[in-house]
Amino acid sequence: MDLQGRVLLTLFVVSAAVVAIFVLIAVRSRGPALSQEAVQGPGYAVRRWWFFLLVAVLTLAFGASLPFYPYSRAQAEGDTVEFTVIAQQFSFSNLPQEVPLNTPVVFNVTSSDVTHGFAIYDPADRLVGQVQAMPEYDNQLRVTFTERGRYTVRCLEYCGLAHHLMEGGFEVR
Amino acid sequence: MTEQLQPSETVATGAKLTVEEDAAGVAAGRRLMNLFLATGLALVFVLMLVGLLMRLSQAEWLPLDPAWFYSLMTLHGAGMIAALVLCGMGGVWYLVRREAHMDVRLGYAAYGLLLGGVLLVLAATVVGKFAAGWTTLYPLPFVNPTWPFWSTGAFFIGLMLITAGFSVWSFQVLEAVMRAFGGLRGALGFDLVFNAKAFKASGRQPPPAQILPAAVIAIDGLIMATASMLLGAAMLVRWLDPSVGIDPLWAKNLGYFFGHLLANYIIYMLLAFVYVGLPRFTNRKWKTNAPFVIGWWGTMVFLLTAYAHHLYLDFAQPVAMQVLGHVASYLSAIPVAVVTVYGAILLVWRSGMRWTLGSLFMYVGLAGWILGGVGALLDATVQFNTLLHNTLWVPGHFHSYLLGGSLYFALGWVFQSLEERTTATTSRSVKWLVGVTVFGGTALFVAAFYVAGAAGVPRRFALAQDPSASLAGVGSVGAVVLIAGLVLCLVEGLRLWRSGRTAPVRAAVAPLLAGVTNVGEVQGD
Repeated sequence: MDLQGRVLLTLFVVSAAVVAIFVLIAVRSRGPALSQEAVQGPGYAVRRWWFFLLVAVLTLAFGASLPFYPYSRAQAEGDTVEFTVIAQQFSFSNLPQEVPLNTPVVFNVTSSDVTHGFAIYDPADRLVGQVQAMPEYDNQLRVTFTERGRYTVRCLEYCGLAHHLMEGGFEVR
Repeated sequence: MTEQLQPSETVATGAKLTVEEDAAGVAAGRRLMNLFLATGLALVFVLMLVGLLMRLSQAEWLPLDPAWFYSLMTLHGAGMIAALVLCGMGGVWYLVRREAHMDVRLGYAAYGLLLGGVLLVLAATVVGKFAAGWTTLYPLPFVNPTWPFWSTGAFFIGLMLITAGFSVWSFQVLEAVMRAFGGLRGALGFDLVFNAKAFKASGRQPPPAQILPAAVIAIDGLIMATASMLLGAAMLVRWLDPSVGIDPLWAKNLGYFFGHLLANYIIYMLLAFVYVGLPRFTNRKWKTNAPFVIGWWGTMVFLLTAYAHHLYLDFAQPVAMQVLGHVASYLSAIPVAVVTVYGAILLVWRSGMRWTLGSLFMYVGLAGWILGGVGALLDATVQFNTLLHNTLWVPGHFHSYLLGGSLYFALGWVFQSLEERTTATTSRSVKWLVGVTVFGGTALFVAAFYVAGAAGVPRRFALAQDPSASLAGVGSVGAVVLIAGLVLCLVEGLRLWRSGRTAPVRAAVAPLLAGVTNVGEVQGD
């Protein structure tokens, strides 16, 4: 399962848990009523733990995601191959015909007119990475391709009436 | 604790009003709220049909010309935000008016400005076919436009009118809560945290729960409006003089600051309905205590800073801003989960709650808010954002909390108001039918977005390719079921309304209808 699949699974599992909790609470609301004070004491004690648990989960998630920040990795290093791509309504200029396999590639992406997206889809049409293509700015996207085949580049930032037709591609060999 | 104060004590006025005069003012405020709500909900319904058209087109069942698709997309985005903002503004205005004198004419002025803005957006998109998207990233509106010159200006002036209306509302609400509760210090409950013992000993009462969202949104609203007007003015200058250049990254920051905040204000404004409404069904009180006010202080800060997560893929943005957006997005979950939703759960738990359409909508809306929030948190994680940004995951999460959360809060309030005016009740079968159609339809509609987003299907695409088309079909079916459920709600709402006009009003709620009392005084059935 790819990363997107795991993220979707996480959402569905958490959603199922949330729905189950809400259903349980709704069902328990129908029994004999307790006074607010009777619920409040233990409820506030549980809330304290809920607060710490949530803070811990969010802190761990933040810490775990930091090494995957793409910003520092986007800089070109020793063995990288660089390509400069210019987006414009409704095509990509300077897209390479071929890109080497298992080699870090940095795409320097900019735009000559409006803001576009530069999103790379693998041969199975899975999104593998993207960056914005902005006029007056360069954005770097670093990718290492580990599968051969035809990759498709699509614009994912709405850029005008033919936005959905704006795509290009390259071969990874 | 949300102790309810007597109106004569709480209504702070420049000139002293009698209780009767104030009751008339509150009743006028209620009429204003009804106008805001009726306009907002009618717009939501019409724009829902527009949204359905877009999904049907993506499903290839009713293909639209791309020029139409993108202008309707622009209308749907800007219009829905304005429609739900109208609902929230009206609700908060009325709830604050119950605590402090406010000039109803200013409320109508805010309404007029918003309505004028919506009409201009409507003209720009439907007549002028302006199609730069509601977030209108500079310089798209000005590069090779396929729409007439006037429609660009009309769209921006429309958005600025909406912002101007929101500013009027923010100034008035902020002034009223500051006057009624002892300045910002009182309205935001500072003494409840920093001088807790002295505050308790003084016998003073903290502001009711619904005052916190009012104060926080009014403060943040003025900051948002300043940024929005700055961007709007820059866009108008560029519209009039093409030689003027604007930094695209600066414009993008301000644009998302505006859009992110306005969309989030909807949720937090409509939450005021839940703070007031849910206690009536559970016969318990929503307490304003230290964790509650601290949570709202956090929300006030995180709302302003989380917007930066919209620019994760602009690597030219300083990394510190990306970290700020990430951290603020995560932190914004804490007040929601620990204070408000957990507080609601404590209110409902073994309360003997009355399950009516009003309480159902509010309760399920809280779940929808959480589910949308989980989707948003995942998308706000930088590593995942590179794979989910601008895919259908994004409409998945914001439809979860705007449609499945905020709209439900507004509908819950409307039904609660109707239910309190009549002895008629909604049958069990109708409640089940509404549950299956509205909640089931929403779930199907939203799930189709999430699944497509995880599959990498781009958002804002007029045409679709597999698996997008088939998933758009599933989403369309969900939307049709949802709309059918909302029609059923309309019929049931009209039945309750007509019944309330003819049946004797219950004695317990009579003071409320006169608009002279507070929530705590009419709890119970």
